[in-house]
Amino acid sequence: MKKYINITGALLLIAFAMAACKKDTPIDEDGLLITSRQECFVSNFEMLGTDYVTVRTKAATIDTTAQTINVTVMFGTDLKNLYPQFTLAQDCKLDPKITGRTDFSDLANPRVYTVVSGNRQIRKPYKVLITVQPR
Amino acid sequence: MKLISRYILPLALLGMVSAGVTSCEKKDYALPTAKDVLQNDAMKRTLGPSIVGDTVEFVYAMGILPSKGKLVSAEVEASIEGAVGTNMENRSYYTNSSGVDVGIEIGGPATTNKNVTTVTFNKDTSAAALRYYYVVPAAARGQQVTFTFRGKSSNGESVSYKLGPYKVAKMDMKRLLTVNDGTNMYISIEDMAVYNAAGAAANANKIDLVYLYRTYTSTFKHALVAPAADPMYLPDITLPPGVNKNTKIQRVFSLQDYNLARLQFGIYIDDLDFEKLDISNAVNYAINMKAEAGIWLKTADNKYLAYVYFNSATDGTKSAVISMKRYAL
Repeated sequence: MKKYINITGALLLIAFAMAACKKDTPIDEDGLLITSRQECFVSNFEMLGTDYVTVRTKAATIDTTAQTINVTVMFGTDLKNLYPQFTLAQDCKLDPKITGRTDFSDLANPRVYTVVSGNRQIRKPYKVLITVQPR
Repeated sequence: MKLISRYILPLALLGMVSAGVTSCEKKDYALPTAKDVLQNDAMKRTLGPSIVGDTVEFVYAMGILPSKGKLVSAEVEASIEGAVGTNMENRSYYTNSSGVDVGIEIGGPATTNKNVTTVTFNKDTSAAALRYYYVVPAAARGQQVTFTFRGKSSNGESVSYKLGPYKVAKMDMKRLLTVNDGTNMYISIEDMAVYNAAGAAANANKIDLVYLYRTYTSTFKHALVAPAADPMYLPDITLPPGVNKNTKIQRVFSLQDYNLARLQFGIYIDDLDFEKLDISNAVNYAINMKAEAGIWLKTADNKYLAYVYFNSATDGTKSAVISMKRYAL
């Protein structure tokens, strides 16, 4: 009898331990935490050249209503090899991800980056509009 | 049985404590006895890649008990004969209390016979540290070089110490070329030289870059531009006939290579950096260059990759001093 009690006790312990390991916080396909936050905007924008130095002539203008980022870059900037850097509202993520140098040379067709809110329910596309400073 | 187990734990603890106490006991210090034979040691003082034409510095130390004898000679054998300037100092260095290296003459000037450099002592010397400067010859490019240091003492003993092998880089280096807007403004990577308009016309197929200085409302200032670049990057410039190469250029900042910059930064560009460099998508101009900035480039004929560094850039004189490392493909 005592033997059976021990076995049952051990089984119960294992079951409890397994239940305790179960995650109850959801994560998305990138392994990022999905939160309850609904904020969805770009708070700051930077643009770096191949030398990792800014190519902006002044701070970028971010219009969160029109969902545009206007940035003026220096004359002579290599538009094919730029590193954009976005600062987003808390828990947001960017789609597509920035994995390296990006080609911004097609000024007629500005690149679009979508900000996804912390709860992953709201998606806001931002256009990056580049103006090259005249000589 | 129960009684035994009751005493096991305290006894084990006591044993551990006593072992700990014994291990803390200080042993009497005894002065180490010096080896009574001739001894030696060597080290390479120069860091970074070994580049053809550059000097690699070593130091070779020897010592023997005065009662046993004195030093007679020191020699170095390089596996590849050094270029002109290869030398061993006939002074032994020590560092004084102010941190300054002080040299004391211990023998006559070194003699070099092919790949062997020798210093013969003519002062009573028991210990010495001699510096050896190996000027990397063109014959060593891409090869491995080893060095064998040898010392002899008056009691007939001899010692030797091997250093290496060290790989000699494939790349070349040229330091401190002055470029001026309007005059010496045409740069050849193949010749690693700067030309004026007449020189550029005579070497038109070798001109890869044009240096210029301009001030506009935007930031232009010091620039390195390929002759084939859009004319808006070569304003008011009439290129000499035949100067038309389309060099690929990529701006770099904070890459103060020590060999080129001779500044405090311990950064070295080596062959490997060129082997891994991909600037196939680069433009053909770099404007707004500053001191301590640079460019990676690839010549239009795909013969060379290079890194051109701005040692200084002076707005007032519209000039700059540049240095370069070049890697033949």
